[in-house]
Amino acid sequence: MTSVAAAQAPFDASHARPVSGHRLQRRLLPWLLLAPSLLLLAAFTYLPIGRVAWESLHDKPHATGKTLFVGLGNYTALFADKAFTQSVANNLIYAAGTVPASMALALLFALAVQRATRFNAIMRAILLFPSMVPLVAAASLFFFIFLPGVGLFDHYLAKLGVRGANWLGDPDVALWSLIGITVWKNAGYYMLFYLAGLTTLPGEVLEAATIDGCNAWQRLRYVIVPLLAPTTAFVLVIALINVLTQVDHVIVLTKGGPSNSTKLVLYYIYEQAHENFAYGKAAAASLLSVSFLLALSVFSLKTMERGAHAAS
Amino acid sequence: MRWIKSLAVAVALAPTATWAQTKIDFFFPVPVDGKLSREMTRLVKVYNDSQKEVAVTAAYTGSYDDTKLKAQAAAKAGKPPAVVLMSANFVLDLKLAGDIVSLEPLLKADGTTKAKFLDDFWPAVHANAIVDGDLYAIPFQNSTPLLYYNKDHFKEAGLDPEKPPQTWAELVDAAKKLTRSDRMGFGLPEGYDYMGWIMEALSMSNGGRYFNEEYGGEVYYDTPSMLGAAQFVEDLVFKHKVMAQGVVEGPALSTTFLAGKVSMMLLSTGSLSFVRDNMKQPFGVAFVPRNVRNAVPIGGGSLVMFKGLSEEQKAAGWKFAKWLSSTETLGGWSRFTGYFSPRKSPYDTAEMKDFMAKNPEAKVALDQLPYAKPWFATYQTVAVRKALEDEIQAVLNGKKKAPQAVKDAQKNADALMKPYVDQTALKLP
Repeated sequence: MTSVAAAQAPFDASHARPVSGHRLQRRLLPWLLLAPSLLLLAAFTYLPIGRVAWESLHDKPHATGKTLFVGLGNYTALFADKAFTQSVANNLIYAAGTVPASMALALLFALAVQRATRFNAIMRAILLFPSMVPLVAAASLFFFIFLPGVGLFDHYLAKLGVRGANWLGDPDVALWSLIGITVWKNAGYYMLFYLAGLTTLPGEVLEAATIDGCNAWQRLRYVIVPLLAPTTAFVLVIALINVLTQVDHVIVLTKGGPSNSTKLVLYYIYEQAHENFAYGKAAAASLLSVSFLLALSVFSLKTMERGAHAAS
Repeated sequence: MRWIKSLAVAVALAPTATWAQTKIDFFFPVPVDGKLSREMTRLVKVYNDSQKEVAVTAAYTGSYDDTKLKAQAAAKAGKPPAVVLMSANFVLDLKLAGDIVSLEPLLKADGTTKAKFLDDFWPAVHANAIVDGDLYAIPFQNSTPLLYYNKDHFKEAGLDPEKPPQTWAELVDAAKKLTRSDRMGFGLPEGYDYMGWIMEALSMSNGGRYFNEEYGGEVYYDTPSMLGAAQFVEDLVFKHKVMAQGVVEGPALSTTFLAGKVSMMLLSTGSLSFVRDNMKQPFGVAFVPRNVRNAVPIGGGSLVMFKGLSEEQKAAGWKFAKWLSSTETLGGWSRFTGYFSPRKSPYDTAEMKDFMAKNPEAKVALDQLPYAKPWFATYQTVAVRKALEDEIQAVLNGKKKAPQAVKDAQKNADALMKPYVDQTALKLP
């Protein structure tokens, strides 16, 4: 909405005619109405992005106090840094591990508790519960669950005769432990969107499918899932944004270790800026991840528009 | 809601009450627990009530890392905190970044010198307060690693609970006897930050130095003393099988020790009161076992002053910092927290002698002090430390052998310090 109004305002101005007071008012009005949100966006979004873009082209070498223009030097340094490439790889694994699993679970939960019964109301609350726990608190709980040897997880595994792993201390396992926490935490939240999506499904289509002899699986596969496509697109975007913006559990549980195995891009940025005084590299990595998020939202808005058209 | 009211009253009264006062901010972290934060707030109130020239606002600012971040952010915003309690090994990096000020002019104005000022401080804490020959920090709270052991486990295993292991050989021997299918004989805190400190303790106990105390561009990772330490860690897991495979974070280690699943561990003296309060079985503490010599690194926090203060604020901050680091304050803080006092004089007071008699564990920590050495601090301290930690963590997981690990750690650390080395030791006429 705002982008349309913003685009029209300067267009109005191109009608170069003597301006009456009334006209001036009409010309200024959209800007006035936009001013509060524009100001906030400028102060907290556009200016910082511009600042980060500027910083990503400069370097202030630690212990020199000088600011130098380095062009794309920060970006080459970034891709030469094994810790960065590994954090990108970790983030890809993390996305592949969390997004499909939490979305599939969300759809499953939504289908299971779709009908409004008293039992389902309780089930919905239980399934939604993890998403209401702040990630920091959840991570602190999982610290005790994942304690090697004496944690809850190992305790119950031992009763089954299974020897647990060092869930957060083994570089082959630690990232998957974090993926497990994320899926547990996010699936219930995505379920909400699927529940809303399910209520909008046209009943006659589902009935027609049943009358035509579809079994439950076929109804899901050929009717429900395709009709839910706009919801799926929306949830996918949220899930992907979470992949790049959730980092609390890394900070609480592993700090990116052991041996960089759980270092996600956002943690890498934090580490470069605040531990290593490498603000240029941190800015370059931030700009890359912001660009990715922007591209992602543009792409998803387009897809959703198309989805909405297809549905109507 | 009451605090809001009192805040409003304070704000309303402020202009009249503080006409001659200099207002300064003091940022402090609490790495351990909440009661420390209340005690610090109480101390600041005592100071504010005791005099009229300086009004200190104390702000609890989270962990050491958060405190560094917040202090830097406040300085960038033009409101630097006058005094900050900072992790002692950040002092060098903060000086190199130009964030903190030298305390030499303030010493001079007092008519004293660095040597006189530091005379009452333990020698081990000097190096972390001095950068390039100038005083930049006042040591405030300090710790060293200690060996903690479960006395009940010692009895069960037929070991004398009053004779903890003193050497690496005795440690391995005891750990083997203590290890059972459901219990590990020994454990180390192996997460980031702790791992580096522990490797410093082990390499120093093995005769090494870890880093160059006087120059920020050198670490000694690829050396026999560090190789021996790394190999020892590898052997504890894979050869002697007395330590858990994989990385165990400090909090996880202390929890398993309290649960009786680990019989001995190295942990900070700063955890003494935590273990004392939560351990059900009797426990003992002892020096970190040696291979070549007794030696441990210092840890803890120091007071620093940020750039960008007015002359009045600087003078006010200095007054407050001197009060905080006085014999009386440091003694009380040490008894309250379990940290040891960086000053020697508090230990001559009657209260402290009484306290030591009642807390024999604190006495062990104090007795280890003469063997203490400075905490590693280099150009890019954290990254250079992680260069070693990543490799040792790989060793703990069986992904790398110790000799390769120390070689790679050295290579990565040297690459990190190269920009500094190039503009200092290798910048030649």
